[in-house]
Amino acid sequence: MADRRTRFTRGWWFILPGLILMTLIVGVPLVMGLNYSLRQVFLYDFANQPFVGLDNYARALQDPLYINSLRVTAIFTAGCLAICLTFGILIAFLLSAKQVKFRATWLALFLVPFVMTPVVGGIAWRLFIWQQEFGVINHIAGLLNLPQPYWLLDRETALIAAIISNSWQLTPLAILVFYAALTTIPEELFEAGRVDGAGPMQALWHIVLPMLKPHILFVTIIVVTSAFREFDMVWALTGGGPGRATTVLSIFAYNRGISAQDMGMANTVAFTMFIIMATFAWIYITLYRRTEVRE
Amino acid sequence: MNRARLRKRTAFWLIHLGLLVWLVIALTPPVMLLAASLNRTALFRSPVDLLLLRDFSLENFGAAFVAGDFWFFFTNSLIISTAAVVITLVVCVPLAYGLNKIGDRQRNAVSFGVLAMRFIPYVVLALPMFLIFVQIGLTGSRVGLVLAHLAIHIPFATWMLVGFFATVPRELEEAGIVDGCSPWRLFWNVSLPVVRSGVIALAILVFIISWNEYLFALFLAGAGAQPLTVGITRFLGGAEIGAQYGVIAAYAVLIVAPVIFFALAANRYIVSGMTAGAVKG
Repeated sequence: MADRRTRFTRGWWFILPGLILMTLIVGVPLVMGLNYSLRQVFLYDFANQPFVGLDNYARALQDPLYINSLRVTAIFTAGCLAICLTFGILIAFLLSAKQVKFRATWLALFLVPFVMTPVVGGIAWRLFIWQQEFGVINHIAGLLNLPQPYWLLDRETALIAAIISNSWQLTPLAILVFYAALTTIPEELFEAGRVDGAGPMQALWHIVLPMLKPHILFVTIIVVTSAFREFDMVWALTGGGPGRATTVLSIFAYNRGISAQDMGMANTVAFTMFIIMATFAWIYITLYRRTEVRE
Repeated sequence: MNRARLRKRTAFWLIHLGLLVWLVIALTPPVMLLAASLNRTALFRSPVDLLLLRDFSLENFGAAFVAGDFWFFFTNSLIISTAAVVITLVVCVPLAYGLNKIGDRQRNAVSFGVLAMRFIPYVVLALPMFLIFVQIGLTGSRVGLVLAHLAIHIPFATWMLVGFFATVPRELEEAGIVDGCSPWRLFWNVSLPVVRSGVIALAILVFIISWNEYLFALFLAGAGAQPLTVGITRFLGGAEIGAQYGVIAAYAVLIVAPVIFFALAANRYIVSGMTAGAVKG
């Protein structure tokens, strides 16, 4: 049956235009990027591109600024992931409680940060939330007699502020995924839990979390890939500063390539990002295949 | 009995308190933008003053249009996003349909490639694209930016659409074949109508992603094709930033308003579309 369909429907005729376009648009820059990363390429001397092998990679790994960016990106990504998972599950759990009315409306409003332009979101947080004198956070801190740090101007707090701002944007996606998953958990399961004397916290821990395992994996992937490559939000918020406190790898690569005109190094930095993500993707796909087989 | 009711009521209020707190966090940044845009001077004012519109005025919007050269950037954003949506649909809908019609092993190979592409950090593509575009003269053209956007959209769209087409009942297609549909009619008249709402959701999402995109624009837009996201960041440089809080806020509102409106209007499609993608994983 499947064979007849396969033969009849001419699947490849539908696939090829898109596949070719995709391979060109993604493949050509990828190969060229690898090529540039193995050469010395300066924008002011573009005609000269001597091949230097892995020299750029060796220089990057010895560069404390690169290592710093690696560290900043790792903290940024891990922080965003922790916040997104925690609040994603918590809010989805609250939203799926059967006492809650107008769930679609709640959900729609929760999604607003997610669809907001990241650059604009960054500007909003920078000018009106973190701003040291008149921002919302320090205004509230002032009312409560708490310290009012210079959030974005202080090396200690800028990265935390960036993590929170970016999580604000990503958490709605987590809420959506977890909420959709929770609506598929049969009510009898909670019923049984209640009979056994489980409170809401026990229900969350013993019934909800195990059911959500595949969705936690999925959200982890989405959040990590997105946070790891984040540029817009951090760029609008701090531009990578103060100093290099929030210079994530994407910003570091941009600075090297466009500001310092060192395109060889910029492509090298970018390619190390590609290698890290490829490793991560490989782990995910292995795990994903395993869960699929089990199902 | 009474105690049980009390506990129920406490739970009710706690749940809604939690949701309300989160709602305030989610909406404070956009609401502050709106409030600041509607005050004459937004700097040196407490958030409460801004929210109460103590110094109400619409002149920031006029300033954003003129000083921000709004129409130039708006036109670029609109053309680039629309073109990206159209091309993505024309290319990806058949691609995803076809993927469900070939052998398992080939499909897995192609799907693997599509999935893998979703992991590529954008800066990895943007840097070489910048160099390639300089050499072939595509910097500063909308065509170049549309191509760059397609690098994001095609893997994303294909990945979502494959899930939608997998829901088309086999019997329906079998019946189509028996009735003597051509391969094209089988696609256009039998399968496509079933996934129509998914395709609408996808079109909206792709439009929003293009509209919001900044990184590629920063690298590739040159002077001629800059979209709104680049337009607003021009205000961020230098010392004059302080004086223009209100104008920036107005500009931001103008950028975000269509997206939020769009998203709320099409909320049902977006939620179902993204959920379908998520459940499929």
